[in-house]
Amino acid sequence: MIWIIFAALSAAAVGFMLMSLRPQKAALGRSELSRAIFEDQLAEIDRDEKRGVISGDEATAARAEVSRNILKASRMGSSGTRQMDTTSRMGILLATLLVPAITFGYYTKFGNPDILSLSVADRAAERQERDEVVALASRLETELQAHPEGGPSEGWMLLGQTRMRLGDYARAADAYSVVADRDEADSAVFSMLAEALIAQEQGVVTPRADAAIARARELNPMNPAGTFYAALSLEQSGQGGAAHDLLIERLDLADGYYPWMDTLIAQANRIGASIGRDPISVAQFAPMATQPGPTQDQVAAAQDMSEEDRAAFITSMVDRLATRLEDEPDDLDGWLRLANAYTVLGRQAEAVTAYETAVSLADALPDTDPRKAAAEQGLASLRD
Amino acid sequence: MTPEIGHFALALALALALIQSILPILGAARNDVVWMKSAVWTSVAQTVFVGIAFAALMTAFVTSDFTVLNVIENSHSLKPLLFKISGTWGSHEGSLLLWVLILAVFGALVALLGNNIAEGTKARTLSVQAWISVGFLSFMLFTSNPFDRVFPPPLDGQDLNPLLQDVGLAMHPPLLYLGYVGFSIVFSFAVAALIEGRVDAAWARWVRPWALAAWVFLTAGIALGSWWAYYELGWGGWWFWDPVENVSFMPWLMGTALLHSAIVTEKRGAFKSWTILLAILTFSLSLLGTFIVRSGLLTSVHAFAVDPERGFYILGLLAVSIGGSFALYAWRAPSMEGGGLFKPVSREAGLLVNNLILATATGIVLFGTLYPLFYEALNDGQKLSVGPPFFNAGFIPVILPLVFMMGLGPFLSWKRANVGTVAARLKWVAVLSVGFGLVLWYLVRGGPILGYLSLMLAAWLLFATLREWALRIRLFEESFRVTMRRARNLPRASWGMTIAHGGLAIAIFGFVGSSVWKSEQILFVSPGTEISIAGFDVTFTGAEQIRGPNYVAERGTLSVRRNGEDLGFLYPERRYYPVADSSTTESSIRSTVAGDLYASLAQPASENVEGANVWTLRILYEPLVMLIWIGSSLLVLGGTISLTDRRLRVGAPRRTAASQPAPLPIAGE
Repeated sequence: MIWIIFAALSAAAVGFMLMSLRPQKAALGRSELSRAIFEDQLAEIDRDEKRGVISGDEATAARAEVSRNILKASRMGSSGTRQMDTTSRMGILLATLLVPAITFGYYTKFGNPDILSLSVADRAAERQERDEVVALASRLETELQAHPEGGPSEGWMLLGQTRMRLGDYARAADAYSVVADRDEADSAVFSMLAEALIAQEQGVVTPRADAAIARARELNPMNPAGTFYAALSLEQSGQGGAAHDLLIERLDLADGYYPWMDTLIAQANRIGASIGRDPISVAQFAPMATQPGPTQDQVAAAQDMSEEDRAAFITSMVDRLATRLEDEPDDLDGWLRLANAYTVLGRQAEAVTAYETAVSLADALPDTDPRKAAAEQGLASLRD
Repeated sequence: MTPEIGHFALALALALALIQSILPILGAARNDVVWMKSAVWTSVAQTVFVGIAFAALMTAFVTSDFTVLNVIENSHSLKPLLFKISGTWGSHEGSLLLWVLILAVFGALVALLGNNIAEGTKARTLSVQAWISVGFLSFMLFTSNPFDRVFPPPLDGQDLNPLLQDVGLAMHPPLLYLGYVGFSIVFSFAVAALIEGRVDAAWARWVRPWALAAWVFLTAGIALGSWWAYYELGWGGWWFWDPVENVSFMPWLMGTALLHSAIVTEKRGAFKSWTILLAILTFSLSLLGTFIVRSGLLTSVHAFAVDPERGFYILGLLAVSIGGSFALYAWRAPSMEGGGLFKPVSREAGLLVNNLILATATGIVLFGTLYPLFYEALNDGQKLSVGPPFFNAGFIPVILPLVFMMGLGPFLSWKRANVGTVAARLKWVAVLSVGFGLVLWYLVRGGPILGYLSLMLAAWLLFATLREWALRIRLFEESFRVTMRRARNLPRASWGMTIAHGGLAIAIFGFVGSSVWKSEQILFVSPGTEISIAGFDVTFTGAEQIRGPNYVAERGTLSVRRNGEDLGFLYPERRYYPVADSSTTESSIRSTVAGDLYASLAQPASENVEGANVWTLRILYEPLVMLIWIGSSLLVLGGTISLTDRRLRVGAPRRTAASQPAPLPIAGE
């Protein structure tokens, strides 16, 4: 849809450019225009004299001067303008082509065509939900604090995760710290604490975060979040190469496709780009995981988020896609994406429904259209 | 989606500007009417696309679309609608977008309305205008994109600086920019003329309406900004010689000189180099102003160094445009032929003095504005401030002779003036104004002699302007009917001059009265405190908490009496905006032509005196301050009336008339 609007805008720009090719009236020459102004000055002198603003002698002198100017202007001559020839036509056409070329060249590099607009009015539910979550979190905190044995660890972890989602990183870190100080704390507790501490400092790994990362890796070297933040810490201390190696090492140990691999790969590629390493893809580490995923920009947007945020992000994207498809039920590509997303999220029943819609939409397509096969295969794989 | 449409439209505008910066000027060189005409369409198209981008950004602000970074940083969902709209240009990125929009609009207006402009001149002018567009559009798209996106979006924004949440300031930047950027087209005309190598009466006539329009907007913008500072900042001053004010004042001074210089070029073919130079200088100072304000240089030279990308980009733009145009001027201006000769006593000589004084005054303001910046850069961040004492000592003595010249100038005739005639006509004006000064001194006493001198000169300007007008319409010399007919037939430009010069005289009364004879008291008050200032008896009756749409406020109540007569109440407020976590003062003013009684509530003293209901109150009486706003309005009105003069609009012969010259229709006669 948005590309149709871009095409229409570009067409309008092209239209404006082509207006120049319409037949032209011959333009007035410079001398003719100057002459008109001098004649106007003569008329003004007449008026001034009649009004008594200047004397007769002054008027005569002024008239003589203006007349000299008129002579001078006519001596300059009027060089006729060239009419439309092949060069001028080709010039305009070339320039016309350049306009959309430059624009699309720029926009494909710097634009964000996939990000929707969301006005406040569209987000009343989201707000209300947030207000409720804020209230629930406060209640939970009060109850945990009032608990005689310091409150169950699950409760504190839930509070921390909730606060992370609300963007209240400092208080999330406080909640995680309570659990981290207990003996039962496992690797995930420390990696989540590290995440909260880093988010609190806008992405900077502080010594305290470093300690949490180290502890997380000590308790479970396979914790991918621990690896992710250890790599970030290495990168920030100027060891980009080591950071990249660390991420690859962990990816090599994977025995299949897991959603966290996309995040590690995106991070490895970001670090790799700055130290001149070749980009890697998920297919190198988990060959079966090559289904159409989110777009580049969405991955880029997702890469800096925590696991929790990412889950919320993906869910909200998917839900928005579903809402949009209710309004535009004929969007086959949309249904395929939605079905795929539901499959990845494990929402099987919804995935089946989406694939069924896609299959019925694809029915009218020729057999050579890959989307038809994709819809049918997707449905079949879920029914197995 | 809307923000992306805006982003895409902006990119289209850049592409069109790139084409327009090359094709028409090449067309002018090879005399290709098609290429030249393409400037008309690209100008219009640029305006359409920048307009779409502006509308898209405004939509994002109005609907509070927090997927747009700029909206997050400068808006909040609870902000009143008017300030959501004005938030569009409240930020760095948004104000650049407004800048570019106005640039495009002026280009399109010249393209569409300039039927009387020679094709070659128009094409070159619009190409030069497109160079400026390319510079600013690329600056915006590559360093300050208003359409940067954020996903997932936060639930609410960080609010606009509450000081800027004000009706006066909502309108101030658009007007100021209309002025600043309006001079761009005059600059483009000047550069085009240098490239073409031809400046004549026709050129001056094409330029004048644009210079005048830009001047009118700039005057209105500055006056509005000053008015805003007066009632919003709570200090009771209307001009602080602050760098941000100075950078708008300098183009105004130069633009004023340009307006007058262009008249000489049109009427007498003289001052060609002056007019071109002033056009270049005026816009260069506008660019300098944009640079100083937009680069963060003012906060600190170091703030500039912290985020150098933007600063260096503008600095580069500045160097290319100012350096390039001056180089072109140095190369081409000497070859321009001189115009009509004139005697030392003549209208031309008067206007030359006007040019010189305004240029000197600008130089003083420029020095005072830039010196602290250089000082800070060279002295390892030590700050130095150049304040009102410098400007009052440097600027006022230079500008006062101009006030004298303004009264005298319109009496001088072109080419050579008769000293005797002029002296005879001004004899009574001189007597009256000196008498006015003496009577004033006798009645008021007290205050500096410069104050009386300034008011005497203002009176001289006012009386001389009225005398000149009376002379033109033969007031009291002819019957009333003849006089009225003459007044009706007076050219609009004459009316404009009379009104604008008179307006300045009136404004000077306000400037001087409110600064020299101001009374001010700052004191602790508690309910029941009585203050007596400039003949008023003011009683502080207390303060209460009130709640606004996005702020809470403490509102004080003052009852005002004079000579036992009840004059009503003043309600100064101190507002706190929780989202932006900052406070503003809302002063309360009782305005009359004689003077303003001005009250503003400063920080509550109860913070210091525990439990006591004590407030810090600033109360001022500023005589004649309203005359500043009346005078400024007259300046704007005079400029506008002059702009409607048919001589500024007419000038194109019909195609048929060119071969058979017929007298042009003359309005009113």
